[in-house]
Amino acid sequence: MTRRIRVLSVMLPLALGLVQPRAAAAQSAREVMEESQKRGQAASQHYEGLLQVVDARGKISDKRWIFDRLGSHGRSRAVLTFMEPPEVRGVALLVVNHPDRASDQWMWTPAIQRERRIALQDRSTRFFGTDFSFEDLEERDTEQYDFRAIADEAIDGAACWKIEAKPRTGKSSQYTLSYVWVRKDNYAFQLVENYARGALARRLRYSRIENVQGIWAGRVLEMTDVRRNSRTVLTLDKLQYNLPMKEERFTLQALRRQ
Amino acid sequence: MITLSGVTKAFNGRRTVIALDRVDLSIGRGEMVSVVGASGSGKSTLLNLIGALDRPTSGWVEIDGRRLDGLRDDELTRVRRDTIGFIFQFFNLLPTLSCLENVALPLHLRGWARKKAADRARELLGLVRLGARADHLPDELSGGERQRVAIARALAIYPPILLADEPTGNLDSSTGDEILALVGDLHQRLQATVVIVTHDRHVAEICPRTITLRDGRIVGDERR
Amino acid sequence: MMLLRLITWPYVRRHRLRTLLTTAGIVLGVAVFVGMRTANESVLLAFRQTIDRIAGKAELQVAAGEGGLPEDVLERVQAMPEVRAAVPVIEAAVGTNLASEGNVLVLAVDMTGDRSLRDYDLESGDEAVIDDPLVFLAQPDSLIVTREFAARNGLAIGSTVPMRTMEGEKRFTVRGIMKSGGLTQAFGGNLAVMDVYAAQMVFGRGRTFDRVDLALSEGVGLERGRLAIGARLGPGYQVEPPASRGRQIDSVLRVYSFTADMNSAFALFIGMFIIYNAFSIAVTERRREIGILRALGASRARIRALFLAESGIAGLAGSLAGLALGVLLSKGLALYISGLIAGVYGIAERTTEIATEPWLMAAGLLMGVATSLAAGWIPARNAARVDPIQALQKGRYQTLSAGENRVRRAAALALGGASLALLLFAKGWTVLFYAGYICAALALLLVSPTVSLWLTKALRPPLRRLRPVEGALAADSLIQAPRRTSATVTALMLSLSLVIAMGGVARAVYDSIMGWTRTTLNPDLFVTATQNLTERTFRFPESLGDQLEEVEGVEEIQRVRTHRIVYEGSPIMLVAVEAKSMGDRVRRPPVEGPGDMYERAARGEGVILSDNFARLRGLHAGGSIELDTPSGPRRVAVLGLVVDWTDQTGVVLIDRASYVRWWRDDTVNVFRVYVKNGARPQEVRQRIVERFAGAHRLFVLTNREVAAWIAGLTDQWMSLAYAQIAIAVFVAILGIVNTLTVSIIDRRRELGVLQAVGGTRGQVRRTVWMEALAIGTVGLALGLGVGAVTLNYVLEMSQRDVTGLALPYTFPWGTAALLVPLILASAFVAALWPAESAVRGSLVEALEYE
Repeated sequence: MTRRIRVLSVMLPLALGLVQPRAAAAQSAREVMEESQKRGQAASQHYEGLLQVVDARGKISDKRWIFDRLGSHGRSRAVLTFMEPPEVRGVALLVVNHPDRASDQWMWTPAIQRERRIALQDRSTRFFGTDFSFEDLEERDTEQYDFRAIADEAIDGAACWKIEAKPRTGKSSQYTLSYVWVRKDNYAFQLVENYARGALARRLRYSRIENVQGIWAGRVLEMTDVRRNSRTVLTLDKLQYNLPMKEERFTLQALRRQ
Repeated sequence: MITLSGVTKAFNGRRTVIALDRVDLSIGRGEMVSVVGASGSGKSTLLNLIGALDRPTSGWVEIDGRRLDGLRDDELTRVRRDTIGFIFQFFNLLPTLSCLENVALPLHLRGWARKKAADRARELLGLVRLGARADHLPDELSGGERQRVAIARALAIYPPILLADEPTGNLDSSTGDEILALVGDLHQRLQATVVIVTHDRHVAEICPRTITLRDGRIVGDERR
Repeated sequence: MMLLRLITWPYVRRHRLRTLLTTAGIVLGVAVFVGMRTANESVLLAFRQTIDRIAGKAELQVAAGEGGLPEDVLERVQAMPEVRAAVPVIEAAVGTNLASEGNVLVLAVDMTGDRSLRDYDLESGDEAVIDDPLVFLAQPDSLIVTREFAARNGLAIGSTVPMRTMEGEKRFTVRGIMKSGGLTQAFGGNLAVMDVYAAQMVFGRGRTFDRVDLALSEGVGLERGRLAIGARLGPGYQVEPPASRGRQIDSVLRVYSFTADMNSAFALFIGMFIIYNAFSIAVTERRREIGILRALGASRARIRALFLAESGIAGLAGSLAGLALGVLLSKGLALYISGLIAGVYGIAERTTEIATEPWLMAAGLLMGVATSLAAGWIPARNAARVDPIQALQKGRYQTLSAGENRVRRAAALALGGASLALLLFAKGWTVLFYAGYICAALALLLVSPTVSLWLTKALRPPLRRLRPVEGALAADSLIQAPRRTSATVTALMLSLSLVIAMGGVARAVYDSIMGWTRTTLNPDLFVTATQNLTERTFRFPESLGDQLEEVEGVEEIQRVRTHRIVYEGSPIMLVAVEAKSMGDRVRRPPVEGPGDMYERAARGEGVILSDNFARLRGLHAGGSIELDTPSGPRRVAVLGLVVDWTDQTGVVLIDRASYVRWWRDDTVNVFRVYVKNGARPQEVRQRIVERFAGAHRLFVLTNREVAAWIAGLTDQWMSLAYAQIAIAVFVAILGIVNTLTVSIIDRRRELGVLQAVGGTRGQVRRTVWMEALAIGTVGLALGLGVGAVTLNYVLEMSQRDVTGLALPYTFPWGTAALLVPLILASAFVAALWPAESAVRGSLVEALEYE
């Protein structure tokens, strides 16, 4: 079975949370990443997200969504449904991850009763005005990356491994290089920095790292778009793992019935 | 018949030129007068004023008992039309009209019927001994003949006043004599008042009265 | 140079007005040429820029005519390896209901991906563009407007804009404002962006896009990409660079350009005559001066050079003034042309920039100077020939070259014969046809002085009868100066013949269009989705037709779908009709083809073409054409040809059933409604409106309204022709004023003598007036005659190479009848000032004048 890692992913901390601390004396960078991924395993995931976009001028806009995810990573399907503000209620995003290729993504707009495909070419664009891109919602295979341990560093007082991740094929991602800080105590991600063409593009900072149902994960994610000087804070409420969910909910037909 | 009183004519160019300077002159009915003087002495200006072609700068002109100052342009034209015949040095015939038509022109301008005007023109051409040339164009005539046509035209309405500006100036002397004889003859027959401007002493001598101009003033007025 | 300063300059200073009038011809000629061209270029440039701006970084555009692309085409294109990015686009020209704003181009795109192709903002972050992208997508009433548009209408984020949609008037909410730059300059800011999926609904597109814009992968060349994508998609799809959309405008403007070019040529030609005239007169007038110069030792060559230099300088000055005037003129013209092509996009192009092409300016300058030099050549030669001895003799005129007339007449005769022969025997040969036209034009030009002389001589008796002295004097003055007279008369003749030719074409087009409206476009009512019949932004579902048929009083419905397609690289109009029903209703015999061609078309046996399209492509009934359809190329038989003015680029009439099958499109633009015998169209209209208003965006037009609308549209096209007619008439009047002014100066002594021997001022005035009227009369006679000939050639030219329309030859009697009083009155008005100057001047000076 192919092992996968959702590097740089929004879902990453949610899926990776279930990681127990283990003495890892002389692990390789790849082993650290694989361990981190293993500890995040869950059959399903649910949370209510509060999304706060802070633009360069300090203006804040709030959105809320409900997130449901089913299946093992790599094969998982996720539906993200906006609840607030009222103008966007019901707008949904369906993500179908494939083990061997990029995910399929559809957006559903209730007002016109239409879905639209998010084309591959558009995955690097911003996700509905947030500082996440559509690509940042994907799961990526660890096999797609080369990892290299860079240093041991403390971030926000927590000891971490700083690991460099480089996509193996140049064009599969908008990013050319990433640094990931993985906590030594629980293998949760602490910080991710994404570089595009040699310059820092986005920085994802995890905080309030808590253990929910045995999975360690950050409950507050702050994504900063360095170039635009804006940031988006995602807070996960009512986070739950392994709830029973039906496969049929994660289809286009289900969206249309909504 | 012709009276000038204190007539001054000034031309305003870059500098003002006084052509006539306070001229007083009286010419009686039936007189035949020559006006002599050097070039620029004001003879032509005097003739133009008498002929109602121009207006004096100051003073007044009276023609046939009628003061010209105060007349409108159209009234001046009427005075010209009804009392004055012109003879020019360069004939001033219309090159596009035949002799007959040239002579009849003043008559047409007075609204004469075509037939009547033609008859009169033919008669006048006979008078100047050009009856055979009636249908020729001016270009086809000699200088003397052209001047005779011009004289015929000037006489078309038997005007009481005949004005001639160097009528022989453009002609050889024998032709000039011929023309002068013709003018004299007509003066006799028609009892017209004739004023001839000339710088030719010979021409002046045949006139009973000669007025001499110098620098715009009358310096001599002799009767013989 | 010295001579120029010493001799020419004082003369010019003394005759300021005349110099002005002389150069006026060149000024006008160059101005018309440069103005028209510049306006044309400017509009095209603006339009191309607009296309570029809208296209953004898109290198290619995929479309299927105007039929729309199914959504799966987008995914197919996106999946192609040659394609880096592909985005769907819907474009619609929409009325805004905002005061002072006309239509707005709504560019509907998928905002999630479109930024890879288009810059919506050049300066900073997206917040400035869209307040909230998610809200923008979630709400189908979202609109992004340009800063210019927002400023003009006082709009801010959250403001609403009323727009006419398929569902009637709807209010859209401004959710973003584009900063100035790039895209926003298209259509002067009359552009709005909305979501493409919302647009599908709002504009009745179903699940199709108008086109797909794409950028190629790195390293894929434009042509390679175009061919590869075209091959993958198959026939029925056009893959073209955005710029090729300008072709449609090009073809619309072609007819217009043709007229404009013809007019420029005429204007310059007429200008040439005016200059020639003025210089000939100047030479006559300055004969003494030339004589003195010659006597003082100036050579003939020197004199010729002097006059040529004068004409060159006049040409240069006139051309420069013409350029300036032309640029000014072009602004107004551009506005007008913009209006003309508004129909193509549905939105008026606001031409803010005037494209002053350097080569065009240079060409204008060169033309002006060359024309002036050519016009000055003969006078200069004559000046050089002046005999000093004769010239110095007072009171003598030198008559010039009588032999020239004979040569000219002979040449005219030969050319006339040749043109007649070519006209008779070379019908099919384009080169020979044009050669014939040139022969005819030259013959007419050469013969015009002679004819004008004859006519003037013929006029003398009636003029004399009218006024013995004045009439004779006026006629004689014209007869005595044939060169002066004939130049003006020729200029007048050219102007008037142009007027007649244009009037004739206009009349013929108008008659043809009205005839077509009457006999073919004869339904009682038209149900459309827009207020006019050419906009194809909105379409109806087919089912609406069935509902319409149920309306009381309706006898029959014809479903019509007009759809622009590309045939052999140029856009033409495909009109899908219910052929059987149409055949029953049309009351006009076909131009070509059997009587049952409509029935055969209804059986799917072929198509019917408009005669202009067929003629330009050399197609006939019995032949066949190949149409690219989304379901593959189809070779269809040409059943017949008809007159059809639906679109000037050409029309292919196809039966609706075939269209629906091949183009997979069952929408309808227009329902043609025939009411039952006895039913009143007005009442049926009322019933339709009452039944469908609210549910559908729908307009019901009566036959009369449509006819009036078509007539209005035709008038709009014609108004340019009329404007040019006005210019031609103006130039003609200019010519008359010029001739008369010069003629007065020429004849000052003569007019002085006239007054000395007792002519009143009134008589002198009347002489001048009659002279003008005589010129006008002769010019009219020649102009109407030559116009009759020109009209024949222009119709033929238009049919052969421009529009393909076979227009019947009808002499425009109305125009001619209008011209007679107009030209005579103009001549009279033109004579007023010269006549006054003749009687105002000093008599003493006039008599001494030489």
